[in-house]
Amino acid sequence: MAETVIETHQLTKEFVRDAFHVVALKEVDITVVRGEFVALMGPSGSGKSTLLHLIAAMDRPTSGEILVLGQNLRSLNDRAIAKWRNAHIGFIFQSFNLIPVLSAIENVELPLKLTNLSKKERLEHATTALQLVGLGDRLHHLPRQLSGGQEQRVAIARAIVTDPDLVLADEPTGNLDAGSAQEVLTLLSRLNKEFAKTIVMVTHDPHAAHFATKARHLEKAELLPEGQVPADWK
Amino acid sequence: MFRYFPFILKNTLRNRRRSILTISSIAVSLCILGVLMALYQAMFFGEPTPAQALRLITRHRVSLTQPIPISYREKIQRIPGVRGVMAWQWFGGVYKDRRDPNNFFPRFGAEPEFFFQVYPEFQIPDDEKQAFQHERTGAVISRTLADQMHFKLGDRITLVGDIFPVTLDLKLVGIFDEPSHAAILYFNRAYLRDALGANNPRQNEVGAFLIQAVNADDVPRIADTVDRQFDNSPFPTRTESEKAFQLSFAAFVGNLKLFIMAIFGAVTFTVLLVSGNTISMSVRERIREVGILKTLGFTPGAILSIILGESVFISIVGGALGCLLASGICGVMRKGPGGNFMAALRTLEISPAVAVLCIATALLIGLISSSLPAWSASRTSILDSLRSTG
Ligand SMILES: Nc1ncnc2c1ncn2[C@@H]1O[C@H](COP(=O)(O)OP(=O)(O)OP(=O)(O)O)[C@@H](O)[C@H]1O
Ligand SMILES: [Mg+2]
Repeated sequence: MAETVIETHQLTKEFVRDAFHVVALKEVDITVVRGEFVALMGPSGSGKSTLLHLIAAMDRPTSGEILVLGQNLRSLNDRAIAKWRNAHIGFIFQSFNLIPVLSAIENVELPLKLTNLSKKERLEHATTALQLVGLGDRLHHLPRQLSGGQEQRVAIARAIVTDPDLVLADEPTGNLDAGSAQEVLTLLSRLNKEFAKTIVMVTHDPHAAHFATKARHLEKAELLPEGQVPADWK
Repeated sequence: MFRYFPFILKNTLRNRRRSILTISSIAVSLCILGVLMALYQAMFFGEPTPAQALRLITRHRVSLTQPIPISYREKIQRIPGVRGVMAWQWFGGVYKDRRDPNNFFPRFGAEPEFFFQVYPEFQIPDDEKQAFQHERTGAVISRTLADQMHFKLGDRITLVGDIFPVTLDLKLVGIFDEPSHAAILYFNRAYLRDALGANNPRQNEVGAFLIQAVNADDVPRIADTVDRQFDNSPFPTRTESEKAFQLSFAAFVGNLKLFIMAIFGAVTFTVLLVSGNTISMSVRERIREVGILKTLGFTPGAILSIILGESVFISIVGGALGCLLASGICGVMRKGPGGNFMAALRTLEISPAVAVLCIATALLIGLISSSLPAWSASRTSILDSLRSTG
């Protein structure tokens, strides 16, 4: 039996703002084991991002339990969570989210600044990560000097440079053309196969889901049982 | 903290024009603060020289413009601890053309037989000293005045009186060097007395006495004794150290100390508001990046130190520039005509202590003005930060 990386019980998230009361996630039980590449799918507003944020400890659940890498996330304070996330999670956004004033290598170096590595080691690691994503010749380019696909690959390099146990991606191909999307998906698939990274990727795109080892569907804040797809799913 | 510095630097350079404007506004404000601190230090903290520490000045209690009787001299001279007493008279008057501010150098009547005894720090060749003591119309001037007005020994200097209805036709007999670099002229008070004429009651009046104590420790006691002695006379006196006197002389309009403090406070407050506003603006613009950094694992504390660091960096650069600027201004003021009336100005400078204070003020301004935006940025939740389109 493979090691459990993510495990939730009755995980619920509600947003209360003024008169609004939204249940974004309702009593979700999900288990992800090491080495899986899970595609998280579902219509817009079904709670995909919310679930990913809870797994990354970027937000706190309203109720229910969540264990990631054996850590009960509800028991950590903000500072401890930040350190935990730095050490164990790589996060990839739809909109790349690079720091515009920093070059590719400086962007990738950022999460390493929180470690005890020397400057030289940090730059070595960052270079390796950029080479891995095929950008060894773009180290000193600023984000605005790169194409969208290249920016997303820098973001992937930044997400894996700390060698995290878990890579989370929220629609990583959402802003990319088909060619660049293909490159990014191939890359994620390689990270999963060659480097044994556990990956959870939110996507709308059935083609993208093919790169994953497994797909799970959310509908109206609820997680459908494994293998089940929404009624109107084409 | 240090490993964030390259990042902080890049953030500073990101909006160059705004950073330059912020740095300039801090530099100008800190320049004003620096000059004020230097003024304050020169006037209120300047240590008296050993010779100065021995001197007191006795004048009418009401104001310097009210004379006191010359007969007080004997009574003061008898007080134990008093080494010498010299009559001292502010003359005023007009030299040549009123329109040239250089012509406003101060001139005083003094007593040549005591003059170089009470001012031992004034250096003058012996023959010139003798000439001052023996020539009734003789006058001595400081080197600074000689250089400023291009006076040479033997020159005639004519002063047309205003307070006194006389015209003094003085002959320059000596030039002395003195440490405060004041532009100043002294003439023989006996000449003024004679010029007033035998029947003029003002012959027996004097503006003030300069007292020289044997021992600096005796100065407060002597001041007290003098003033008590004349307490109930028609001409009560006020005796204070030369240093204190120079201050009251300069500050007779209003409370200079309070005035300096008020400007200081206003400038500090204004620059706090200006830089506080700029910093919260640039933090707001980058709130999304704060969210990114937090996602990468930057703790609230790290975010706090990055934002504070940027603001402190800008402020310190501004403060250092302001200090340089202030030191230039102090240099100009040191040489300007103001020093004639306030000797303290001659020592005006940005001392290391003032420089440190100046930079520390800048640092504080940086910290305070960014603390609120930094704190709220560090507290904003990741998702709120990331959602911001700022
Ligand atoms: N901060 C918030 N405040 C209020 N409601 C929120 C907040 N964040 C999310 N929601 C609501 O929670 C629900 C789930 O949102 P979520 O972002 O998880 O959807 P999603 O599946 O990622 O959708 P999409 O595919 O459009 O990204 C939505 O109805 C959304 O409006
Ligand atoms: Mg989403």
